[in-house]
Amino acid sequence: MPDLIIDNKKIRVAKGTRVIDAAESAGIYIPRFCYFAELGAVGACRVCAVKFIDGPVEGIRMSCMIEAEDGMVVSTDDAEAVDFRRHVIEWMMMNHPHDCPVCDEGGHCLLQDLTVAGGHGMRRFAGKKRTYADQYLGPLISHEENRCIQCYRCSRFYQEYCGYTDLGVMGIAQRIYFGRYKDGVLENPFSGNLIDLCPTGVYTDKPSRYTGRRWDFERTTGVCTTCSLGCSITVSARYRQVVRLEAAFSRAVNGAFICDRGRYGFSWANSENRPRQGRVAAKAMTPQKAAAAAAGRIDSLAEQYGAGAIAVAGSGRSSLETLAAWMDMCRRRSWRGFFFDDLAAAPAAPAVVSGLNPENVVSMKAVESADMILAVGADALDEAPMLALAMRQAWRAGAGVAAIDPRDLEWPFEFRQVVAAPDEIIDLLSGIEPENKIGGNAGKMAAIRDQIQRSRFPVILCGTAILDQNTVLAASGLVKQLRKNKKEARLFYTLPKANTFGGLLLDHRAKTPDELINAMESGEIKALVAVQSDLWQNCADRDRLDCALKGLEFLCAADCMATELVSRADIVVPVSSVYEAGGIYVNQEARAQWSPPAHAGGTPVRITGAGGHPPRVIGSAIPGGDMPGAWQAAWQIAGLAPPAGPGEMIEWMTKTYPVTAPVKTMAAQGVRIFPLQ
Amino acid sequence: MHPRVLLKNRKSGRIATIDEYRQSGGYQALENAFVKNDPPPGDIREILLEARLLGRGGAGFPIGKKMATVPDNAPHPRYLVCNADEMEPGTFKDRVLIHADPHQLIEGIVLAARAIEAEIAVIFIRREYENAARILEREIQVAREAGLAGKNILGSGRDCELIVHRSAGRYICGEGTALINALEGKRANPKRPPPYPTTSGLWQQPTEVQNVETLCCVPHVISKGAPWFRSLALTESGAGTKVFSVSGRVNHPGCFELPMGIRLSELIEEHAGGMIPGSRLKACMPGGASTRIMPGSMCHVRLDYDDMEQNGYRLGTGAIMVFDHKTCLVQVAANLMTFFVRESCGWCTPCREGLPYILDLLNRIEAGQGRAEYIEMIRKMCGHMKYSYCAFAPGAVAPVQGLIEDFYAEVTAHIENQGCPFKDGQSDKNYAGSHY
Repeated sequence: MPDLIIDNKKIRVAKGTRVIDAAESAGIYIPRFCYFAELGAVGACRVCAVKFIDGPVEGIRMSCMIEAEDGMVVSTDDAEAVDFRRHVIEWMMMNHPHDCPVCDEGGHCLLQDLTVAGGHGMRRFAGKKRTYADQYLGPLISHEENRCIQCYRCSRFYQEYCGYTDLGVMGIAQRIYFGRYKDGVLENPFSGNLIDLCPTGVYTDKPSRYTGRRWDFERTTGVCTTCSLGCSITVSARYRQVVRLEAAFSRAVNGAFICDRGRYGFSWANSENRPRQGRVAAKAMTPQKAAAAAAGRIDSLAEQYGAGAIAVAGSGRSSLETLAAWMDMCRRRSWRGFFFDDLAAAPAAPAVVSGLNPENVVSMKAVESADMILAVGADALDEAPMLALAMRQAWRAGAGVAAIDPRDLEWPFEFRQVVAAPDEIIDLLSGIEPENKIGGNAGKMAAIRDQIQRSRFPVILCGTAILDQNTVLAASGLVKQLRKNKKEARLFYTLPKANTFGGLLLDHRAKTPDELINAMESGEIKALVAVQSDLWQNCADRDRLDCALKGLEFLCAADCMATELVSRADIVVPVSSVYEAGGIYVNQEARAQWSPPAHAGGTPVRITGAGGHPPRVIGSAIPGGDMPGAWQAAWQIAGLAPPAGPGEMIEWMTKTYPVTAPVKTMAAQGVRIFPLQ
Repeated sequence: MHPRVLLKNRKSGRIATIDEYRQSGGYQALENAFVKNDPPPGDIREILLEARLLGRGGAGFPIGKKMATVPDNAPHPRYLVCNADEMEPGTFKDRVLIHADPHQLIEGIVLAARAIEAEIAVIFIRREYENAARILEREIQVAREAGLAGKNILGSGRDCELIVHRSAGRYICGEGTALINALEGKRANPKRPPPYPTTSGLWQQPTEVQNVETLCCVPHVISKGAPWFRSLALTESGAGTKVFSVSGRVNHPGCFELPMGIRLSELIEEHAGGMIPGSRLKACMPGGASTRIMPGSMCHVRLDYDDMEQNGYRLGTGAIMVFDHKTCLVQVAANLMTFFVRESCGWCTPCREGLPYILDLLNRIEAGQGRAEYIEMIRKMCGHMKYSYCAFAPGAVAPVQGLIEDFYAEVTAHIENQGCPFKDGQSDKNYAGSHY
């Protein structure tokens, strides 16, 4: 633990800490452009220069390139160092267009901040500015190269960190150009991070261009709900809609980046087609009236046919509160619960809750340190994109990566693939660990087995989409065996939806959509309430589903998305989305995280204003702001009064489902929840 | 008459053949090293160290010291890289050496490779030296057929595969670590040590990079010994001879091989034939473009790495550019800076943006649009170049720093007269922007 002095402050840091980070930990911010922790230090921009006054290093050096050592004495405000940094900024601004007023980055721009901090106000360079032509890089990212200060963050991220090659740096000297080899949509599924990374306005968010300055937005740190990884995001909202998403830093899960699917996958929440009004047949009304109408119909059908004729379908799209509310309502009313429709896409999901435990669980960021990764029936790039990025970092550090999978996997790093049908995989797995009895195809896997045997920290990735439950459990068994043989082996499952794990925690007796369809076909079910669930989404046999639904006397949808099921429902109760109500989601590594509401809800001004702004009708209520949360709808559709507010809801949930108790005291990074023993 | 060693076999219009090279004593050292005496590589390194053979690519670092940084237990394969990417303005000695006596270079390479137990030698040659590249390829084949290069040299069981690699272009490839990046197919940005190339270089293997002229000295040092090599010099600390590339306002520009420590005045007046009629010696750049401009009054200095440093200059590549009293040194500095601005690799901010800034100010001064405050701005910016990523920028501003320190009056004259005194006070009122 080196001890050093920075600006007369005594600091102790962990071995290997860069001086620039050591300073930051003591509250001293040294300017930087090219340094970014996840990309490493390269010493290109020269703006982090400080004076080493004493110790093993002396003179003006780059603080990002030097590790803290005992006895170092550093001055960040040494006159010569400050003058040098001031010159570096002046050189960077030489050719800058100074177009802050029309640049989206303004107000959130590292170049702005450091230019002003460096004391620059007037440009004294009298020469001609170098200019570039901009490129079309697709519908999501704008490119304005004149603002570039050549920090190399984008080319390093794109090529070194992600492994894609269509964007990079071209040319030489003052004319170097950061862009694509020719105009066109960027191939990298993580390219949205260029927007977060770029310290100037070269890469800006195109869909939200010119919608406002950072201080115009309500900004909240939340959780992405697109896949099961639960990456942290920053949600920006304005005028009652989500404007854009950015990556938020999560030490355990996603680090500093998110994938494009998560970053741009929110527009459904702003859609014109989204259910915002209650509907009974063709008649529009308040959500509360629609819920009351639904309650009435359910009651009469239950009287007529018995409570068991009422079914509720749910999905891992719903928050923990929502699922808890509906599951418990089913129990209380003796309705039949069919949780979850996720199982159509991932039949093996229920095995995850038994396969994963506190000993073998691992967070995504830690996967980067694995020295051997085996992906079993898991197409990381497709199911959980950020996982593929974590695998790449492990590979870059020398890890071996192998996959057992029938599919044509295209990952941005080298890996060895054993092509095997889904039902062959369990046998192959058993061949890896000599303790297991089944041999057979073990020979095929010789090299993989070798690598795992020689590894110190192997991670087994296992998907749930194409495998059966036995194979999913076999992956867990393999990890257990490896751990017995003194290896730091870990297990990492992928699941279909943001809260599949959470739902399974509440009730692991999961029922597939097939069971629901069977029940409808047999005439047992007369009424179906679909809560944030669309049976058509993963339906393989549309005709069969159509037929089965004909047997229903009542179909009710409680949803925030404009799905096919919503369009066919007899009664629609619109519910608020995660951006308006918030919610707790448990990711694939059992981590419960709370995504707070990003804005107060209601119909976007874009829609209510109908082109005119401010709106013509003045009122005290938020238009469309009377939507219940999906968990509140459970009580309303049962004809009861829901808990008073979110706090009371958490109280109720943790009491009714003791397994969720840890969420009461969880911190920002969430808390892992495993089934009670 | 000074002894000629490197250019001994130089002919007009053709190379010296392998037979001519052998007749003059060539390939003896190689035979001794691989067959007859078969000394351990450490002995070869020891001789080179004792001989005080300094790198002639510009840095002047002792070859023996550099070789000693290859750890004894370093892995194989190891690489010896011959840096034939000669692009320092005013320097043409390497091209002359290859055209004069290619086998001298080949033997030097194989011996140097033996000294660090490298199995593969790469000659990295600049794009524009196509003739020299072909000569080398042809003569390497001749040497290979004679068993002097390639696999199983002279039946010793030892290999030295020689590969000629043509650069894809640009000056920065001459920087050792940038050269290695270029060989690996990457952008030719330098890579700051640690680790040093001798520990982890080409494809993370131990790599020794040496200049053409340095390698040409190696056979002579090995065959005739370190004391002999040191005795060739005219100074106490110097060793061997140096091939000087002389250009400028002299009667006989060209390559001259002279002992280390020869006086610059003697070189110019006696060997280069003195100044052309009507020209008086004003200044020269004795080390190539990346060095300080030397006033004529200093030209009594001895051309030797140590002596030059003691006087505040650098011998560099030994490229002597001679300027007369009619030459505007501001224009010289701006001309050289135009080259450096163009050749910056673009990695770090001070070099990529700061050099063009300085050039813009120099151009304004030269165009008669200069202002007094520019001089301090230039001085400050030049001083900051030492905090750039590699040695390129500090070298690039050396002429400018020399200009301001030793020719201050010439600079202020441009500003006070708002015109170039060497162009009858002409001033470019239409000057609007940078000229690069």
